[in-house]
Amino acid sequence: MASQRIFQLGLRRVAAPGLRVQPAGRMVQRRLAATEHVSQPHGTEILAKQRLRRPVSPHLTIYRPQITWYASALNRVCGIMLSGPLYLFGFAYLAAPTLGWHLETQSMIAAVAAWPLVAKVALKAYFAFPFFFHCLNGFRHLSWDVGVGFKNQTVIRTGWTMIAMTVAGSLYYTFIG
Amino acid sequence: MACTRAFSRLATRRTAVRPAVFFSRGFASVNDVHAREPISKVAEKIVPAPATSTIPESKTSTIKEPEPTKDARNKTFHIYRWSPDEPSSKPRMQSYTLDLNKTGPMMLDALIRIKNEIDPTLTFRRSCREGICGSCAMNIDGVNTLACLCRIPTETAKESRIYPLPHMYIVKDLVPDMTLFYKQYRSVKPYLQRDTPAPDGREYRQSKEDRKKLDGLYECILCACCSTSCPSYWWNQEEYLGPAVLLQSYRWIADSRDERRAERQDALNNSMSLYRCHTILNCSRTCPKGLNPALAIAEIKKGMAFA
Amino acid sequence: MASIMRPGLLRQACQTPAASQRMLSTMAGSAINRPIAQQLRPAFARSAIPKSTRIAAFHATQRNQILPPLPQTIVGTANDPVPVPNPSPSHGNYHWTFERIVAAGLIPVTIAPFAAGSLNPVTDSILCALLIIHSHIGFEACIIDYFPKKRVPRVHKASLWALRAGTVALGLALYSFETNDVGITEAITRLWHA
Repeated sequence: MASQRIFQLGLRRVAAPGLRVQPAGRMVQRRLAATEHVSQPHGTEILAKQRLRRPVSPHLTIYRPQITWYASALNRVCGIMLSGPLYLFGFAYLAAPTLGWHLETQSMIAAVAAWPLVAKVALKAYFAFPFFFHCLNGFRHLSWDVGVGFKNQTVIRTGWTMIAMTVAGSLYYTFIG
Repeated sequence: MACTRAFSRLATRRTAVRPAVFFSRGFASVNDVHAREPISKVAEKIVPAPATSTIPESKTSTIKEPEPTKDARNKTFHIYRWSPDEPSSKPRMQSYTLDLNKTGPMMLDALIRIKNEIDPTLTFRRSCREGICGSCAMNIDGVNTLACLCRIPTETAKESRIYPLPHMYIVKDLVPDMTLFYKQYRSVKPYLQRDTPAPDGREYRQSKEDRKKLDGLYECILCACCSTSCPSYWWNQEEYLGPAVLLQSYRWIADSRDERRAERQDALNNSMSLYRCHTILNCSRTCPKGLNPALAIAEIKKGMAFA
Repeated sequence: MASIMRPGLLRQACQTPAASQRMLSTMAGSAINRPIAQQLRPAFARSAIPKSTRIAAFHATQRNQILPPLPQTIVGTANDPVPVPNPSPSHGNYHWTFERIVAAGLIPVTIAPFAAGSLNPVTDSILCALLIIHSHIGFEACIIDYFPKKRVPRVHKASLWALRAGTVALGLALYSFETNDVGITEAITRLWHA
């Protein structure tokens, strides 16, 4: 039996050397996950193709909210909230003479004075919170730039202190100052 | 053989995608650019670009503890799964329930138990199980850490969530591709560079004070927890080096025996490599070895400030 | 077609699903949508995949991400270092030091109006100049971070030039405001109490 099979195999190999793999697969138990030798360039080609299909792991949505990166992101947002209106005011001020707007201090004060109280408070709060946050956080950043206050505990403590001071300062200047 | 297998793989992909091709070509006209292309090319185009959105665990099943006992302390783990064998499918969150009485104390024990007893297809890296190899870095309950150093929170009501390191390309399940990270590490030339031989012809000596400067730097195990916790590194991975590599760079800048300090600083002296660090400080917060990459980066910046 | 190419799979398909342990191999999953592959899956894997993903879902709505990451490409082999950029101090350490000096310089001129009520024209114009530089650097950092040169080169360039134009315009505006009006701190103080 065995000799017959060997004979058969040999015959097939002679008949069709290129198709050697398939008949062997039918006869012998073959693992599907057999390891194969792949040439180096072919291997890198396969890898490059696989890389194109890889997903990116989730990041912003799953990372735990911590004072470190939330404060940093807020710092940037607050900066934009302050500088954005400054730029817009600049553009408007340049365009004012041609468009006939009145952006002199006197007319602006008169306009704002006519607003309801809620709008005035909202406007003050819009500028007070980002201003205090950005300024107070700026102190932390400058201290880090000289290499001070890098311990985790210090970072957390100064962070929450900064937030408390922001809230206190901006509430004061929104309603009283 | 290899070519047969590759070919058969291609063939299965064709059959798998065929229905979609059929439907998408429902109103095929002459100016349909895909119509005359080989079918495999069309398949390549239909497969979506790497998806970042994940199927939440509420839409996947839960795999239970295999042999539940009476006084079991069952805790649920939601684990990020994605398999390269199904490249067109979205990543998903798979839930597993484990009895903590039968599980070791660390997250890595839970993962190993899942792999051994519940689901052998779960894939993750691990080696030393004692926080010295840095293989099992992953995002556990929202924070990057080493699974082998992270205790399983004992309150069973709270469910644990395990993700791979954030914003990395995923090879499979919890295994990210670290190639770029290692290539970046290589670019800072992490080895002693000097031209003058040692005075006594034997070894390069340094004072105790100089040696002390390397404490908190040489312990880094390059697990990439800090780099992948940095939002700046998320957005500009290709150009910004990231906290881990910069800490390593500083380890050689600070070394009194190294003679290429200026070159090392020059290599960082551009808009992207170093100065994308905005002192967010996630790196120091997350480091499982208790190091301070942010401080190291600040020291590099300080050293270069008036250079 | 697949079964012709892979006799092993055909043989398995004829057998009962119980004999499918080897389907754990990485060869198994390349065809998720085929029912036969579903049958061949081990029990846990079958239960692990929800019905919704087994059948190709019909997506009516599409959610586009803002600046999604590109598919992964690695230049060179794993053993090549990433290319090191040429040193450019004007974007590197000089830029950083200048930025810090401006930020530190802003501290006294920001605190002074709170103490003194408002500023004299000289300090007021210093505040304006520092504010413009600080804002410009801040916006520039945002553009570099969120519109990376490598990722969106045109948007990067366009937004940088738009920012420069905007900063020049702001400079002109604040100059004329300073010369024609009461000055920025005085204006804000009055507006605040309006």
